[in-house]
Amino acid sequence: MKENDPLISELANIVGSEHVITDPTSLSVYECDGATVFKALPDVVVFPTTAQDISEIVKIANKHNVPFVARGAGTGLSGGMLPVSGGIIIALNRMNRILEIDIANQQAVVEPGVVNLGLTQAVQDDGYYYAPDPSSQQACSIGGNIAENSGGPHTLKYGVTSNHVLGLEVVLTDGEIVEFGGAVEETPGYDIRGVMIGSEGTFGIVTKAVVRLLRKPEGYQTLLGIFETIDEASNVVSSIIAKGIIPAALEMMDHFVIKAVEEAFHWGFPLDAGAVLIVELDGIKAGMQQQAEQITEIFNENNCRETRYAKDEADRQQIWKSRKSAFGSFGRLAPNYITQDGVVPRTQLPKVLRRVAEISEKYDIPIANVFHAGDGNIHPIVLFDERDSDQCERVEAVNMEILSACAEAGGTITGEHGIGVEKMDYMPLIFSPEDLAVMATVKAIFNPSGLCNPGKIFPTAESYAKLGR
Amino acid sequence: MPNSNQLHEDLIQIVGEAGLLLRSENLQPDDQRSCYTIDGIGPRAVVLPASIHEIQEVLGYAADSKLSVIPAGSGTKLGIGNSPEQVDLVLSTSRLDQVLEYEPADLTVTVEAGIPLAVLQAKLAEHGQYLPLDPPYTDRCTIGGMTATNSSGPSRLRYGSTRDCVLGMRVVQSSGTVVKSGGKVVKNVAGYDLNKLYLGSFGTLGIITEVSLKLQPLPEIERSVFLTFTEIGEAVNVASEIARSQLLPTFLNLFVNGAPLTESPEPCLLIGVDGHPETVEWQIDAVKTIAKQNGAIGVEVYEGQRQQELHASMCAFPEGESAAPIVISRANLRMTDVAGFVNTVVEVNDASTWQVRAMGLMGNGIVYVAFSDFPDGDVPMQYVADTVANLRDAATNVGGNLIVESAPTALKRQIDVWGPVGRSFELMKAIKAKLDPIGLLNVGRFVGGI
Ligand SMILES: Cc1cc2nc3c(=O)[nH]c(=O)nc-3n(C[C@H](O)[C@H](O)[C@H](O)COP(=O)(O)OP(=O)(O)OC[C@H]3O[C@@H](n4cnc5c(N)ncnc54)[C@H](O)[C@@H]3O)c2cc1C
Repeated sequence: MKENDPLISELANIVGSEHVITDPTSLSVYECDGATVFKALPDVVVFPTTAQDISEIVKIANKHNVPFVARGAGTGLSGGMLPVSGGIIIALNRMNRILEIDIANQQAVVEPGVVNLGLTQAVQDDGYYYAPDPSSQQACSIGGNIAENSGGPHTLKYGVTSNHVLGLEVVLTDGEIVEFGGAVEETPGYDIRGVMIGSEGTFGIVTKAVVRLLRKPEGYQTLLGIFETIDEASNVVSSIIAKGIIPAALEMMDHFVIKAVEEAFHWGFPLDAGAVLIVELDGIKAGMQQQAEQITEIFNENNCRETRYAKDEADRQQIWKSRKSAFGSFGRLAPNYITQDGVVPRTQLPKVLRRVAEISEKYDIPIANVFHAGDGNIHPIVLFDERDSDQCERVEAVNMEILSACAEAGGTITGEHGIGVEKMDYMPLIFSPEDLAVMATVKAIFNPSGLCNPGKIFPTAESYAKLGR
Repeated sequence: MPNSNQLHEDLIQIVGEAGLLLRSENLQPDDQRSCYTIDGIGPRAVVLPASIHEIQEVLGYAADSKLSVIPAGSGTKLGIGNSPEQVDLVLSTSRLDQVLEYEPADLTVTVEAGIPLAVLQAKLAEHGQYLPLDPPYTDRCTIGGMTATNSSGPSRLRYGSTRDCVLGMRVVQSSGTVVKSGGKVVKNVAGYDLNKLYLGSFGTLGIITEVSLKLQPLPEIERSVFLTFTEIGEAVNVASEIARSQLLPTFLNLFVNGAPLTESPEPCLLIGVDGHPETVEWQIDAVKTIAKQNGAIGVEVYEGQRQQELHASMCAFPEGESAAPIVISRANLRMTDVAGFVNTVVEVNDASTWQVRAMGLMGNGIVYVAFSDFPDGDVPMQYVADTVANLRDAATNVGGNLIVESAPTALKRQIDVWGPVGRSFELMKAIKAKLDPIGLLNVGRFVGGI
């Protein structure tokens, strides 16, 4: 698109031409998110600083009948911010201020571009933190978290983003600025805040959020267990929950991931281990030791090779770093990877993980597993080389079979990464045409022109054909 | 519109004799139908379908016959909302009361909407689990009703409201189409989170027939600490100190002008702690220390039967004879605005001829205010309406809101029970118009007359 295009000059009038990108080289930075196999170039990227700016940008987009999509940090794993039909990317990097920290009311007001971890860092000296902690929290934005209803390792005990957002300011798809919810726990009427969260940027653009802050727990106990097999580790997960213990986090890595992580970062994991479990307890120190002992017992009953305890905060941070850096090591395993995100009932974990291994073998596509075991939220990392078209075809079959297995086990096809473009085709595995019709009806209320983040979430005729329906 | 005999016959065709309660002019108070009377208006018929198919048939019949439908569970919260113009059919899910799927090790359950909470809790308790919700009418309310009203009780401080426990549901739309939202697993972001739309929609968007829920292990022990003070300010200070501390109370409730199970008129604070015995002991000690430093004059720890009675009675706030006129409002505030609001409540009490009591959920910023004991049982409507308006102003002035949950019909007709909703109202109207296009369900009773 040319600089003298009326659309571009109108956008430049709002944010200043230095905050508008149109040259192809710079645009290519914005052609994908963390799911790098999906690519699409926007025509223009704008960097607004206020809700008012965004409102005007949206009105211009409507006037010119051009699609627009919000972009936070671009760490999404389902192609949510992908400008599939070109148009405007509204990048929120400059809207990154924490507007208010209200410790007495245990809440903060933030702009959407605030980095997740940045909020916790801003309040930690007061003894507080922001609970939803995606593994990408050093980079991802709160706006992106809201759009995807993101989770993280500590979702098990503390819930997902939706449980921690009280109010939203949103620029609707016609440019109107409206608030939903607020600084109090409940407001009368339909919970539009709740519907907005997880709508993957298709209902409007979040320009401000009131979020809860939690008091930092008095203490932590972090245990790391090394197991011979995935099966044993999965049994531990069910046994802990069945004992009535809800840890703050319960994470698993398989031998593939252990090896990759070990070779990249040298944490001291045995290279021949079948699985590593990280279990964290948090809360009041009194009584915690007993729970840790119960967990150690469950470890031992399941043939645990070795149990390590974080002896201090530095140790604990090390353990978490090894978990959260796992993704950084996959580059060593293959040129490309897709992270699947199915959820199954906890008791189905061993069965479904065995199935994933079979699928990997059947198609000769390596799959690594690092995931939120306590929630039954698996992340099979499907490793491949996108330059090999035969592999790509097999990868598609792998994705389909994994997600079908999750659906058949009574689960779902995404626990935290969203549908985006990546899983549209698989929606019919869990939703009937009638279920999807209600979603389409609600979408039409919020986004009647369809210009806001088009081409996402809903299966197409082609999707049904692929599924043989 | 069919006449009564015709209506009777038609509905029996669909749901059978057992599925129908007919309107009678003089209901006895113990008549099962009386709990489905809304603001003094008895329904023309109460239908209790035994299957989703029967629900579809009833809805189709109602649509064809231009009858309004009010969805219900056991009827405990039917009074919330604007007064209806007329009540044709009350459609209760109470015959859909089965547990459909329960695998204890998954810590989730799927039930039919009409199952009473108490029945479900008993089943879960056999496996050392429970649904951590303690809404009003805990003994009678159904899961469907709790979902439709997004019910909660004092324990929402630690465990949240129904919104935080629902994983998925099945809903019959007014067109008869059956749809599901969410799923059965604890994490799910596939598609839009339409659970949130139905939660707290008060029956205006569909008939909820099935709900999947996230459970909790039963705590090893539970205790309540009951603190008494001479000044409200002291109680408020203790509450905010506890809220800021490392303690993890299940509830943190302030009582003004009367606490459960006591005659004591002094301000009280009731604090719940649960979990591992050592954790609980440590918290009780910590509460005692904070209380002593802040001038508590009474400190009592309750356990066992007595603690359960106390908890139940607190959930039922305000206690009282159901026949007596009563006005219950609920203010949603920021925590730091509760103290100021409670002062307003005290001023209102001093200026009123009736009794004004308050229960504050101090960690949530929620204050329930009850007007009762009107002299001679007479409610001075205009005066009470003005008083409600004053309280609402006190809440809205600090960015909160106030909902009138229960009031005599005459009063309801003078006030807006929900209060203003602001600019999101246009969207709410559109949602109602699109999801219930024929305007069949609980019409006119929600915010702004939706
Ligand atoms: C290494 C790695 C680990 C990860 N771990 C986790 C994890 O543990 N848990 C988890 O849940 N996710 C995880 N993710 C996924 C990703 O980080 C989250 O989905 C995150 O919330 C995306 O935030 P973002 O700012 O990068 O959003 P983007 O990728 O920029 O956008 C995501 C979506 O949000 C929309 N959007 C962004 N901002 C707004 C706004 N202000 N208003 C409306 N819509 C908006 C976009 O249009 C898009 O649809 C991980 C990703 C990576 C790369």
